[in-house]
Amino acid sequence: MTGSASLRAALAVPLLAIALTVGLSAESRAEYADVVLNRNAEKEGMRPVVFPHWFHRIRFRCKVCHAELGFKMRAGSNLVTMGDIIDGRFCGACHNGQIAWAPENCDLCHSGKPGLPPGIFGGHETNGPGIW
Amino acid sequence: MIRTLRNPAVALGALCCTLFATGTALAQQDKGKAVYDKVCVACHSAGIAGAPRLGDAKAWAPRIKTGIDTLYGSALKGKAPAMPAKGGATDLPDADIKAAVDYMVAAAKDGGSGAAATAPAAAAPAAAAAAATKPRPAALSFNRLLKPASKRNPPPPEDGIHDPQNDGTHALQPPLQVFESLPRSNAGNRVDWVKALDNNLIAPRWDRTDPAAAPVVMDLNIVREVKGSMPDVVYPHKQHTAWLDCSNCHPQIFIPQKGANQISMAAILLGQKCGVCHGKVAFPVSECRICHSKKKNVMPVKNAQAN
Ligand code: HEC
Ligand code: HEC
Ligand code: HEC
Ligand code: HEC
Ligand code: HEC
Ligand code: HEC
Ligand code: HEC
Repeated sequence: MTGSASLRAALAVPLLAIALTVGLSAESRAEYADVVLNRNAEKEGMRPVVFPHWFHRIRFRCKVCHAELGFKMRAGSNLVTMGDIIDGRFCGACHNGQIAWAPENCDLCHSGKPGLPPGIFGGHETNGPGIW
Repeated sequence: MIRTLRNPAVALGALCCTLFATGTALAQQDKGKAVYDKVCVACHSAGIAGAPRLGDAKAWAPRIKTGIDTLYGSALKGKAPAMPAKGGATDLPDADIKAAVDYMVAAAKDGGSGAAATAPAAAAPAAAAAAATKPRPAALSFNRLLKPASKRNPPPPEDGIHDPQNDGTHALQPPLQVFESLPRSNAGNRVDWVKALDNNLIAPRWDRTDPAAAPVVMDLNIVREVKGSMPDVVYPHKQHTAWLDCSNCHPQIFIPQKGANQISMAAILLGQKCGVCHGKVAFPVSECRICHSKKKNVMPVKNAQAN
């Protein structure tokens, strides 16, 4: 990777950033770790999708989605389509009427405010994309 | 434009999800005002044909005494001579009309203070207690930047990312309903997920379909010495392998070899290394002591100086 000199140089700024980010989440109100998926939804006339991590991690370990089902740990990097879902991939591996309610309940998933960009919401304190 | 976008969703939503149309009181506030502004305002603003005016405490007091159900009834079925059923908007669902009544009743209770028009938030019956203390301007609040406890974990219709106009939004579970029974922490969503799991308060599945499958938890701590005054970092495999698969971290994020990875706070804050999860889904970077948990052994240093 990069030399340690450049890392050192980069340090001053982020350590300042720690001080700034800690507790300064007054603006963001969404639940910590809610993810908005909106690559195509709004273009196709549906509201953006809101995925609540807190709700799902009570029921499943991270591994189920991020290793078994192949969701990459990087908001916006998974191209999910309704076709996939109805064929039992991604959200559809569970939202199939057997493990969880079926895809016909459009407005439970497509519940985001129009215009939201894809990404993680709710007082997250680290920036930049994941690397997984 | 937004309207045309929403329509298919609303139509489809209404088709499939009448089952879920169980709005919460809180969610009704905005709806109540919206319905009032669209339908009821025509008569109830100026007092047309003897309609009690919005915020006119005197005109509403005797009506409120008859009970909220009577008022709902009048609004839904109409009241002779001039109050039409549902204010004429017969296509609106009953819940919307009731929300409008709630809004008007709350406005009447605020009557005279002039707050009625600007504080529809008081409309929810649940907010009756809060209404007792007059809200101060935000500029005078004790904490300017720190989020007060009352603003944490709002229900979906108020969280700023869910669309309150969407019926499904009101059917979603408010996080606090769940978090109250889970152990607290100081940051993130204020739940200590490690404790919640250890104490068996939650039983998240390790396998999508098999509730009995259990993870192979690996108890291996890796100590990373930190230069300077911060305590050393102890990275625990135990708490991580309880949630994650080895392949979630190895080898993409970390080469599985002690010391083979350069990790720094700079990288973490940029969302790399530990920051892939911490500060996004797992507890955030503000909780220094959870990672920097190993006190430095100061004795050898003193000895070295003494020599
Ligand atoms: C039910 C499925 C599911 C579970 C369980 C789950 N996640 Fe996710 N996770 C997702 C989805 C969906 C996304 C968004 C992907 C996208 O936007 O393309 C996501 C995104 C992420 C991201 C990326 C955030 C960003 O800013 O780029 C991280 C990190 C993450 N999850 C970590 C976790 C951790 C840690 C756990 C366990 C505590 C977990 N997830 C449990 C489905 C899940
Ligand atoms: C389990 C959650 C879920 C349900 C239920 C659901 N969707 Fe989706 N939908 C998604 C996700 C996730 C995406 C991908 C979002 C993105 O990145 O744009 C999506 C994308 C879409 C898109 C964008 C184009 C495409 O085909 O991918 C359309 C249109 C759509 N959904 C319509 C619907 C309709 C209509 C229903 C109800 C019959 C529905 N959805 C129910 C999760 C859901
Ligand atoms: C066409 C004019 C008109 C419209 C539109 C209208 N109202 Fe009224 N409303 C009246 C009049 C007139 C009365 C007084 C009836 C009386 O007591 O004689 C009244 C009374 C009421 C009352 C008190 C009933 C009681 O039992 O004393 C309620 C509650 C009410 N309206 C709710 C609504 C709501 C909610 C809407 C909008 C959805 C609405 N009104 C729209 C004219 C209207
Ligand atoms: C590993 C299985 C699994 C996957 C994958 C999954 N879900 Fe779920 N989801 C569930 C279960 C189980 C429930 C609870 C169902 C119930 O209440 O009956 C649920 C509930 C929900 C809820 C309702 C939460 C509430 O407040 O009641 C939403 C919204 C949701 N999922 C969205 C999504 C979206 C969007 C995706 C894909 C990005 C997704 N889910 C992927 C299992 C999953
Ligand atoms: C949350 C991320 C994460 C997960 C999940 C994880 N590890 Fe690690 N692992 C690490 C880190 C961080 C290190 C330390 C690397 C370093 O010091 O540079 C490490 C180091 C190791 C090492 C080297 C130990 C040594 O003394 O050299 C082995 C072996 C290892 N992990 C195996 C595993 C196995 C097996 C699993 C699954 C059961 C697993 N890891 C799951 C993050 C993880
Ligand atoms: C792939 C995601 C991921 C990565 C990468 C990761 N963690 Fe974690 N970590 C978690 C999750 C999930 C938990 C469970 C607690 C939570 O969600 O807040 C956790 C918990 C912990 C805990 C235990 C807290 C306790 O209360 O016992 C420590 C300490 C910790 N992480 C340190 C680290 C360090 C240091 C690194 C980098 C070397 C790291 N983690 C990288 C996901 C991750
Ligand atoms: C998710 C775990 C985690 C949290 C939370 C965390 N750190 Fe660190 N920190 C690390 C790791 C890992 C290293 C790298 C240690 C090494 O050199 O191997 C580190 C290194 C450091 C260093 C040494 C310089 C550098 O960047 O490498 C400082 C100073 C530091 N942290 C300060 C803080 C402060 C202050 C906080 C709280 C605001 C904090 N850390 C919170 C994991 C964490």
